[in-house]
Amino acid sequence: MLRPALRDLQWRRRRFAIAMLGTALVFGMALVITGVSSGFDAEASRSVNGLGATVWVVAKGASGPFLGSSPMAASRVREVASLPGVTRAVDTVFTRKDIVSGGSDTPVNVFGAVAGTLGLPATSQGHSPTRPGQIAISTKLSGYGIGSRLILAGHPFTVVGTVSNATALAGVPNVYLTLRDAQLVAFAGQPVTSAIAVTGTVPTKLPPGLATLSNQAARDDLLRALTQARSSIALLAVLLWIVAAMIVGSVIYVSVLERQQDFAVFKATGVSSKSILGGLAIQAIVLSIAAAIIGSGIAAVLAPNFPMPVSLTLRAYLLLPVIAVVVGLAASLSGLRRAVSIDPALAFGGP
Amino acid sequence: MPDLRITDLTIEYSSGGYAVRPLDGLTVTAPSGALALLLGPSGCGKTSLLSCLGAILRPKSGSIQFGDIEVTSLNGQALTEYRRRTVGIVFQAFNLVPSLTALENVTVPLRAAGQRWPAARERATELLDRVGLADRIHHRPGDLSGGQKQRVAIARALALDPPLILADEPTAHLDYVQVEEVLRVVRELAAGERVVVVATHDNRLLPLADQVIELVPQRAVSTLPPARVELPPGEVLFRQGSWGELIYVVERGEIEIVAERADGTEELRTVVTSGSYFGEIGPLFGIPRSATARARGDAVVVGYTTRDFRQRTGPGFNLASSESPAGDAGHTPAG
Repeated sequence: MLRPALRDLQWRRRRFAIAMLGTALVFGMALVITGVSSGFDAEASRSVNGLGATVWVVAKGASGPFLGSSPMAASRVREVASLPGVTRAVDTVFTRKDIVSGGSDTPVNVFGAVAGTLGLPATSQGHSPTRPGQIAISTKLSGYGIGSRLILAGHPFTVVGTVSNATALAGVPNVYLTLRDAQLVAFAGQPVTSAIAVTGTVPTKLPPGLATLSNQAARDDLLRALTQARSSIALLAVLLWIVAAMIVGSVIYVSVLERQQDFAVFKATGVSSKSILGGLAIQAIVLSIAAAIIGSGIAAVLAPNFPMPVSLTLRAYLLLPVIAVVVGLAASLSGLRRAVSIDPALAFGGP
Repeated sequence: MPDLRITDLTIEYSSGGYAVRPLDGLTVTAPSGALALLLGPSGCGKTSLLSCLGAILRPKSGSIQFGDIEVTSLNGQALTEYRRRTVGIVFQAFNLVPSLTALENVTVPLRAAGQRWPAARERATELLDRVGLADRIHHRPGDLSGGQKQRVAIARALALDPPLILADEPTAHLDYVQVEEVLRVVRELAAGERVVVVATHDNRLLPLADQVIELVPQRAVSTLPPARVELPPGEVLFRQGSWGELIYVVERGEIEIVAERADGTEELRTVVTSGSYFGEIGPLFGIPRSATARARGDAVVVGYTTRDFRQRTGPGFNLASSESPAGDAGHTPAG
């Protein structure tokens, strides 16, 4: 029943086109919003991986090296550095501050480490901060370039490097300082540290009061603040899928209602219910796939202009039509059920 | 050589909650190669019989045998195969799929039977050529006249060369020019061993028929004398769905008029008392009784033919109103 199904799509093309565009818009929004959630993961991974640690040492009881950190004495880095299997260990500092410019505050994530060592990411332009007063900034921090001067938490800095797309905590730009400057900004110059970044093997035995955390735990630490946002996004995505399903489902259902006579004739002329269902399923699939393709285009246009990082992977684009087909078919079930129940006697105008 | 044998066929279905029995105990045979006309007014069961012959409606009882196929016992895949391979149906309102061209409409049963598109297209083209529509194969139903649509429907019915063709009022929506085109094709359908059953109330088809099946008994001979009937308590005078030629006036006692519901229960519509009449709709309009009449106690009724009844009632005679639950409910004669 492929031909009758496609002919019917052609016959009712305006209605299907409107439904397809509506569904495509919803699919596009669902894709973008799912991309936002993926973007949180991607930026957290980028931020943590860029720091180069294989493991993090934190004060015992701290839930992470960043948001969940608990300050400890900077001197403890020497104890960690001397542990077997540790090749390098450096103090790092993390805090959240604002850059003040012209009366407006721009929030940033501040990372600090010993200049030129582990704990600072590679710059895409310029160099990492090596001296007091120097700062490397994310390319996402607009309005500043190399050589620009900025005020961070009341302290003046000069931009010496940029790090490509370095953001965390839902698109907040990262900035990178020397350890001393970071301690100045975060702890009023006290010789304390948020966590110790370590390379080498994971120490089996740690000095008292310390604990290790993996990079995954470090990523989770950055994502913890976004738990509510991620839940909301997931809920919104589900709602959008439901809306899409309702559009596809209602179009198929109305199509069945309008074609009851046709289906009755099909049945009376020996067309099996399975073939009729196949035709309807094809309509749902065509509608869903077309909407998914257009929706992908809408998402590709929307994503770069979205205020939050949107991570749209090839996998997401490939998965959308698959999910769309599943949603479309599931949504069409009531229409399919209705088609099965049509009495062929209707072809005669009833018994 | 498949013959069509209908034996003691009773059709009953529910309409508005009431049991309707358009056919009760029909027995008829149409031999192979016959064009049989089912004649009768609306509501006499023509379409219901066609539905049963097409294995679309299941009769209440009785048997339909086509060749060695016991149609009334078909189920599942056998039912689908019978509809697909054995029967071709021409519907009253054409019932072409509006989104498909004439060619595509004809290919529907072919494709359903598993034929590949090129073969189905070739066969459909051949059939449309045969019904004189070779130049209309790519037209949609909306672009065809009534006669052309009906010929497409006939081509569709012939697609798999079924040995049984059922046509429901094939000339109902056609003007006289279009009727001529269709009549010629209908006559040709019965070539060879094929059995063609045409339901119609169009007398123009009579000359085409090899066999005429009247679904309504001949009307009562109007010269019957009044029939006096004595009824013991509970005795049924006539049953719902039966055919009758007499209108009754209650001389003594009471007659209850009950409607049989589809679920087997009864609904008392009215009680007709001495001096009132009942049962006038069926005989007057040539339709089955719409309710059952039964004596409540000892009763005596007198049955009159419609002519005698009209003479007795005179011009002041009134039918039951359409809102009345029963067309055969009681009234008092005007005269």
